[in-house]
Amino acid sequence: MSSVRCVDLRKTYRQGDQDVKALDHVSIEIDEGGFVCLVAPSGGGKTTLLNAIGGLDIPDSGEVWVAEQRIDEMSKGELADLRLANIGFVFQAYNLIPVLTAQENVEFVMQVQGVPAAERREKSMAILEEVGLRGLEDRRPAEMSGGQQQRVAVARAIVSRPALVLADEPTANLDSKTSDELMELFTELNRHHNTTFVIATHDQRVMRYAKRIVRMLDGRIVEDLEQDAA
Amino acid sequence: MNIVLRLAWRNLWRQPRRTWLTTGAMVFSNTLLVFMISLQFGMYELMIDNTLQVFTGHMQVQAPGYRDDQKMRQAVPGILPLATRLRDEFELDTIAARGWAFGLASSDERSYGIGIFGVEPDYEPGVSSIPGLIKEGRFLEDYDEPGIVIGAVLARNLRVGIGDELTLLGSGRDGSFAAAVVNVVGIFESGIPDIDRNFAEMPLGLFQDVFYMEGAGHQVVISAETLDAAELLLPQLVASLPADAGLVVHDWDALQPGLKQAIQADMSSAFFMYGILVILVAFSVLNTQLMSVLERTHEFGIVLSLGLRPGRLGRLVMLETALMGFMGLVIGAITGTIFTTWFTVNGLSIPGMEEMAAMFNLPARVYPETTFGTAIAGPLIVYAFTLLAALYPALRLYRLHPVEAMRIN
Amino acid sequence: MRMTPVLTRLAWRYLWRNHRRTIIMLSAIAVGSWAMIFMTALTRGMVDQMIADGISVLPGHVQVHDPEFLNDPSVANRITIPDRELAASFDGAEFRAWASRVRVPAVIMSERESRGVTLLGIDPAAEREFSFVSYDEVEGRFLESPDDNGVVIGRKLADKLDTEVGKRIVLMSQDPDNEIADRGFRVVGLFEASMPSFEESFVFIGKTTAQKMLRIGEATTEVVFLGDDYRDVDPTYELVAERVDGGLDVRRWHEIDTYLGTMLKVMDGFVLIWVVVIFLALSFGLVNTLVMAVFERVREIGLMLALGMKPSSILAQILIESMLLLATGLLIGDVLAVLTIQPLQGGIDISAVAEGMEMMGASSVLYPKLYLDDVVLANVVVLILGFLASLSPAWRASRYEPVEAITKVG
Repeated sequence: MSSVRCVDLRKTYRQGDQDVKALDHVSIEIDEGGFVCLVAPSGGGKTTLLNAIGGLDIPDSGEVWVAEQRIDEMSKGELADLRLANIGFVFQAYNLIPVLTAQENVEFVMQVQGVPAAERREKSMAILEEVGLRGLEDRRPAEMSGGQQQRVAVARAIVSRPALVLADEPTANLDSKTSDELMELFTELNRHHNTTFVIATHDQRVMRYAKRIVRMLDGRIVEDLEQDAA
Repeated sequence: MNIVLRLAWRNLWRQPRRTWLTTGAMVFSNTLLVFMISLQFGMYELMIDNTLQVFTGHMQVQAPGYRDDQKMRQAVPGILPLATRLRDEFELDTIAARGWAFGLASSDERSYGIGIFGVEPDYEPGVSSIPGLIKEGRFLEDYDEPGIVIGAVLARNLRVGIGDELTLLGSGRDGSFAAAVVNVVGIFESGIPDIDRNFAEMPLGLFQDVFYMEGAGHQVVISAETLDAAELLLPQLVASLPADAGLVVHDWDALQPGLKQAIQADMSSAFFMYGILVILVAFSVLNTQLMSVLERTHEFGIVLSLGLRPGRLGRLVMLETALMGFMGLVIGAITGTIFTTWFTVNGLSIPGMEEMAAMFNLPARVYPETTFGTAIAGPLIVYAFTLLAALYPALRLYRLHPVEAMRIN
Repeated sequence: MRMTPVLTRLAWRYLWRNHRRTIIMLSAIAVGSWAMIFMTALTRGMVDQMIADGISVLPGHVQVHDPEFLNDPSVANRITIPDRELAASFDGAEFRAWASRVRVPAVIMSERESRGVTLLGIDPAAEREFSFVSYDEVEGRFLESPDDNGVVIGRKLADKLDTEVGKRIVLMSQDPDNEIADRGFRVVGLFEASMPSFEESFVFIGKTTAQKMLRIGEATTEVVFLGDDYRDVDPTYELVAERVDGGLDVRRWHEIDTYLGTMLKVMDGFVLIWVVVIFLALSFGLVNTLVMAVFERVREIGLMLALGMKPSSILAQILIESMLLLATGLLIGDVLAVLTIQPLQGGIDISAVAEGMEMMGASSVLYPKLYLDDVVLANVVVLILGFLASLSPAWRASRYEPVEAITKVG
């Protein structure tokens, strides 16, 4: 069963007085349990594709299916519910809500989902431990390093075990040791919980962990390779 | 346009919504201030004019102590010659002599205690609006005619009309019993309940006979063209009174202390309200300018590191505030004037004002009028406080350290 | 609803993220609401006092007269029902107090001077509750019984008449046949009143003495009733109207003194206008603050939307933030108002403008009156209008597209 299916997506932005084709007839299908790296130079369309899959951005034409539901025709509310229930996000930057502590940030999605407080506490503590942030749960984002912030964001994305995790340059601000740890965490989740990962990156170390590498250029898919993950 | 001025102006419009909201607060307050101040001072003038016109005049010559006690024997001797001399000396017809006594007025059916004035039929119309308010019959004509003019409510209460007889009983200047029979020749209606219920006027000559005044009276009333003219007249009047006569001159606020005090009381509550409005606008400006400075910290850091002095940045912020304040001032003064002018044409009537108006001799519908002064006074004060409020954010810039400032994003 | 706790926490934290702005706005709201309540308490105090004084001249919350009396206040228009019959007809009805009295215009004459006054023939025992004169503070003594032969006058009047306790004066009025009715009295007491004009215009003698002097037998000119609260005289009015003969005129105090009645209503209107004006002056700053608060966290709003928070929750979050800001400011303002009004409860001396206040019908000591109703009104009006003013910025915040918001630079 496919987790994500995109059919002939097109999306054009206006930048200054130029039209930029961010997505140019893109079709892709990602199976459940997939571990996909989207690789492209900046402006290559990988973030746009990621956002389209996450229902954050509506393509000009084409279809987006997530968990067997057509999402490009959903209302904002339906999209919000879908993201809440099925998708975890890790963005490149500005990942955290600055007025909440690390633990509160991790609990945020669960809170919106309506998970009872005790369960939230337990799960968030466990996941913070897992990403190596034990003892920092009461810090606010401004009191943490970039790597620590990013790990909080990852913890938040995976804490409620979404079927699909979308990550945009998750290792951009991390040192190599931390990014390896993060990727191992992703791999483990992928293996044990069959979580689908779609990661936009141009970090070679990240690509090593992928089962499939999709290269994009100027809004088109130019290469789609299966590989044995590290 | 000067480059700094242009920079300040453009900076304002980087956040147009915020600038408009802050200007809006000024415009709102200014409009209100222009309207309220115009209305307020218009009403005061009306109150003073109307109250003094009815009866009091701008000033009065009296015997010492009379103002407080109004006793019969506190009289001005030879009052008619005095009034005549003053009229000649100042070439002013709006000077008239009066006597006052209290008496019981009886008709066939009713008796009421009333205040009886002896007035000069020729000159009273110059100092009082009552002769002009006769709605039935006529005003007095002769210094000695046995006639009396009474208020409409009194006429109704006494159940008398024109031509009916009234018996007056009272005490004379020497404490003896005074009595007279007079005919009602006129009935006036001023709309002021106290006056319509309690006042009567008879000729001064007859009054002096009935109450054994021996040529004396109680007050010489003087009206001038305007309040200002009255003020100028006062010292001349004092100087022209015979020094040994022991007479005193009271101006209008001594004669009607309630009037000035009512105005003062009203002013202090009005100023409290204006003050609050101005403070609220100042807070609004403080907030906006502080935010505008804080969000430009990074930018200011760059300029400082380029070698610009903090003082110039502070002046820039003040200039921005001054420009914004000026917009508020001009727009506010204009909208305030337009708003007020609408009422100048159509009049303003507040429910319940009729009762209040009667209390202060005001018409039930008032027509506030803006003058340059009333249109600009409020907005100028708001402007001053606007600049004052911007001082704190402007002065903060002196503490700005370029490197730290640039780190903040 | 489920989201309220988390939204409230977010809103509160965001409020203090830019503490300078919040403190400035809180100060503005606090000053505004303080001014609303303080000013209201002062005017309420003034009007209350005016009415209390006004009623003390009338006096009586509900009054019964001959239908002609108010237009033509003469003994010709008197109430002929004797007291014991009145008492019988009010048997079983509960009033705080009631009394019948003789009130007529009269002339008072001393050896040298004469003045017009209102003559009140009263039963001192029955009038104790009504009177603006405190019996015990009278110089000399107050009247002791309805057939007391003395007269009690105001100190100011005594000065003008050149008279004093122990001296004689003459009172003159008319009897029902319009014959002069006069009688000599000895001044037994001088009273002082909160308003100078009362001292000049009221003269008290015994009721029976007055009836004899005016030759009206057992008749009176008015029957008066006190209820518990002058603001709500309808219950008393109903009780009286049910029991009084059809021929007589029963009125509430504000139907007799329309100036006072109107003042009461005008003040209600004034309070509301004042509250709304202050709010409007505040509203610009409030909207401004919200616009800025939204503007500087557009990306975070985008993030929350991306994480699956619904736009309605963003809307709610901004509204809650606005309400928290207002409520905190109001609370501070309320406390300030109570703290500043409390020490003034003993009265503010404004005798510098006493005669001006008297012109308005108010006395020279101002007692601020803090009514819970007014405080509630001010707070509720601000919260409701504040809610409405916040709708626009909150709505805009909830309309952001997550991607645009996240990628927004600046």
